[in-house]
Amino acid sequence: MKGGVFLKPAILIVGVYVFLKIVLPLFTAPLPASLIFLYLALTTTGIVIFATLSGPSTDAFFGPIVRFLTGEGQGGAAQGARIAVLLLFPVLVGWQTYTSTAPSDQPPAENRTIHPAPPGEYTGLSNPVPNTPENVMTGKGLYAAFCSPCHGGNFDGKGPASRGFNPPPANFSDPTTIAMLQESYLFWRIKKGGVGLPIEGMPWKSAMPRWEVELPDEWIWKIIMGEYDGAHQKPRTWE
Amino acid sequence: MAVFQAVRANQEESMRTLGQVKPWCAGILVGTVLAAGSLVPSSGFAQESVSVRAALVKGALPADDPSASAWNSTPASEFPMSPQVHWPNRIQEVTVKSVKVRALHDGQQIAVLLEYEDPSQDPDDAAGLEFMVGDKKAHFAHGQPMAQVQGGPVNIWYWKNKDNNALDMNAQGFGSLKVQDQQDVKAKGVYQNGTWKVVFSRALSTPDVEHDTQIKPGDFINIAFAIWDGKKLESGDLKEKGSQKAVSSWWYFRADPPPDYSAYYYVALAVGLAAGFQFVIIRKLKKGATS
Ligand code: HEC
Repeated sequence: MKGGVFLKPAILIVGVYVFLKIVLPLFTAPLPASLIFLYLALTTTGIVIFATLSGPSTDAFFGPIVRFLTGEGQGGAAQGARIAVLLLFPVLVGWQTYTSTAPSDQPPAENRTIHPAPPGEYTGLSNPVPNTPENVMTGKGLYAAFCSPCHGGNFDGKGPASRGFNPPPANFSDPTTIAMLQESYLFWRIKKGGVGLPIEGMPWKSAMPRWEVELPDEWIWKIIMGEYDGAHQKPRTWE
Repeated sequence: MAVFQAVRANQEESMRTLGQVKPWCAGILVGTVLAAGSLVPSSGFAQESVSVRAALVKGALPADDPSASAWNSTPASEFPMSPQVHWPNRIQEVTVKSVKVRALHDGQQIAVLLEYEDPSQDPDDAAGLEFMVGDKKAHFAHGQPMAQVQGGPVNIWYWKNKDNNALDMNAQGFGSLKVQDQQDVKAKGVYQNGTWKVVFSRALSTPDVEHDTQIKPGDFINIAFAIWDGKKLESGDLKEKGSQKAVSSWWYFRADPPPDYSAYYYVALAVGLAAGFQFVIIRKLKKGATS
């Protein structure tokens, strides 16, 4: 029952780790290792502070540690565990030092914002072209001519010219692209292209053309209609 | 009973010593947890190449020999190539679908080898490397202007089979391609068994920092590739020329820095300190327990 005082802290630390490493990334971007490390450090410090709040709890917490470290009156398995801990501690400290001082061999991490905020004049515009079957057809035709080499005839981002581009051309049938966006936003992206992105969108990497130099606005609005229809998505609207 | 009392006494004694050593115990505990936390493996993921790495070689650099044996032992990165459909004049299909890239440097000079398949050798076959110049980001398509970011120029190293040498060029926007006054780049291509091997070389750094990319060992910079199949069609036109070419996006490029062993010294020091620290604490605890 000696381990009793440590059971809860151990569960807590493992729980926090599992939460940060596995649960949280289900909802947001994965946390960098340094941040996970910081949270674990805070948790541990919190546990130690909590355990040392009162005299008796302090003793209950540190008594077993002292007995374990000195190895007094221990034998067999406990002695083995003690030696393992005494060896492990310097090794872990060494490893920690290595990971924080060894020069990194990895290219810089990239955090491209995929859907940065559009310039003010491109918010809340509505499609001026009536949504008629002919206009949708025309839009699909223009899409096939201008967009499908990259975004694909199936609207899946896998056009014959897509393979070399990084970031890859957007996959419109994926619910996280145009289904999340308003027509107004698409109008901005299509008109201004990759080079129209703000710095967090890494405009220097995007192959998305700046169509305003080649296509009139009316065509762009028709393409937007054809694009949603072909990809079986609906634009996001103001609720 | 006696045994029980002895254990009790022992326990009380050790408790008394606790007052002095608590912070140290906490130190060991916190240290162990923190160090364990750092063992968290950084998410390694399998994928295609994202960078070209130029290893540091001692001795001669195969800067003018695309078939030198030194290249065989250099690992290659491979990058997909797209037809240039970003900007008019577009092309919908190109000959070269991917390029293998190797690089070596000797602390003074850098050599970059491109290797790609092309079924025919033609005088107008050509290939290019592109880099950013200075601190400003440049769009991969000839450093064309960006709406919300102030961009910089690109430096283009261009090789053509006809001349079998390189041109050192700059561009900042479409139609602005210019041959530099000061030519610093060399290139040489060898065609064999349906494969082009083209090696480009230059000094890592040059005095002309305004026009030339500067390669500082250890730093990651951006690189992109372009390839033209200069085959003559029956119409007399070239299959690929000018903006009609195979292109890549920006990827990373790094010349490896000289080996740095200082991390190992720090590790040895840290392990020594940790072991010494443990030793002192436990001695202190033992003394406390028996006094
Ligand atoms: C040269 C290849 C290429 C062509 C041609 C092209 N695009 Fe793109 N497009 C891209 C790339 C690459 C991206 C992803 C990078 C970015 O967001 O800028 C993209 C992104 C987009 C986005 C943003 C989607 C999102 O989820 O943010 C839209 C909308 C779009 N393209 C529409 C079009 C339309 C409409 C056409 C035809 C008029 C077209 N594209 C033609 C390469 C291309």
